[in-house]
Amino acid sequence: MEKMLKKKYFDVAGHVFTLEMGEGDRLWDDLDNYAPFECVGNGVDAAFSLSLCDDIDVSGKKEMYVSTPVEGDQRIDIYSLDEGYLFEMAPLGDVPVCGFLQVSGDFSMGRLKVLKAKRFCVNNALMLMYAFRTAPLGTLEMHASVTVKDGKGFLFLGRSGTGKSTHSSLWLKNVPGSHLLNDDNPIVRFTDEGARVYGSPWSGKTPCYINENYPVGAFVRINRAPYDAIHRMNLAESFASISSSASGLRAIRSIADGLFATISSIVQSTPCYILDCLPDAAAAIVCSSEVLKNVQGS
Amino acid sequence: MKIIDGFVLRPLGEEFLVIGEGISQINFNKMVSLNSSAAYLWQHVEGKEFTVADLADLLTDAYEVDAERALKDAETLAAKWIEAGIVSE
Repeated sequence: MEKMLKKKYFDVAGHVFTLEMGEGDRLWDDLDNYAPFECVGNGVDAAFSLSLCDDIDVSGKKEMYVSTPVEGDQRIDIYSLDEGYLFEMAPLGDVPVCGFLQVSGDFSMGRLKVLKAKRFCVNNALMLMYAFRTAPLGTLEMHASVTVKDGKGFLFLGRSGTGKSTHSSLWLKNVPGSHLLNDDNPIVRFTDEGARVYGSPWSGKTPCYINENYPVGAFVRINRAPYDAIHRMNLAESFASISSSASGLRAIRSIADGLFATISSIVQSTPCYILDCLPDAAAAIVCSSEVLKNVQGS
Repeated sequence: MKIIDGFVLRPLGEEFLVIGEGISQINFNKMVSLNSSAAYLWQHVEGKEFTVADLADLLTDAYEVDAERALKDAETLAAKWIEAGIVSE
């Protein structure tokens, strides 16, 4: 007997996508992070659709990028197909591949076959499709922690382990009236009114799935140092800072062009800083007093 | 010498950036900013084999500069591009 399928619609930063899998699949109960973003599907044009299935078509599979596995880090390998791409994923570098995502060339249709770590694979597949499908649409999926203060979102950027989340938590403790919007993967869009940051269903280890959005106050790159100091970056530095924290497969021209257009608009209209800092309260004070000074009255 | 595959020249405001967009640059890790004369040279040698002498000729064609100075500037720039890993020898 055919198993009954269920489809849900989600709206993240104004882009709607769908997820489809068996009605009785226990994973539906384990996707709390998507609940705040669920929307009504009637008459909505989805930007992309993901369905779980047992078979995928990998004809014409050719290697594009095979990662060097790092123990403890998730891995993704990329192949081109006759029609579209194949992404093979694993939650850790030292375990076998357990998710196979086959996507159309424009990233609007995805089919995911999962052997293990189902929740990881579904989250990863949706994030991947979201980033690649919306890159040409003025949208960035960022690696950042976002704190809101005075109605503006402040994005803290940096490589894993530099203390983005730590810096957000220092604001929450030391900057009255601030709150966390997202701790790992917020969405940023560039519109006529400037850059805007949105919460998402993806927030790393911190369960913070808030469906709210704010104008961006500033981007702040966190750099570990034995002192606390902040300064504005020039245009090229700002571009490099945001680019290195935005997801996307730049080897695909439409994605590279989209990311460039969005990031170049953002850096010409939004302040970007570098914060040399210790993981201490003074860092939050030094940072907030500078970045808030520049957004007041704007 | 030749521009390494995957490096793309893009204008940012009044500036120019060469950005690694190839599959080998999957984790955004290389970007070089160019001034307008370097960007002019880049555009004219994209996709081709070229020599320092070609760069020098391009400079004397476009700018009020004598051959000796052009050759010196071209040598310096070519060495910088090779060192930055955006051009192969």
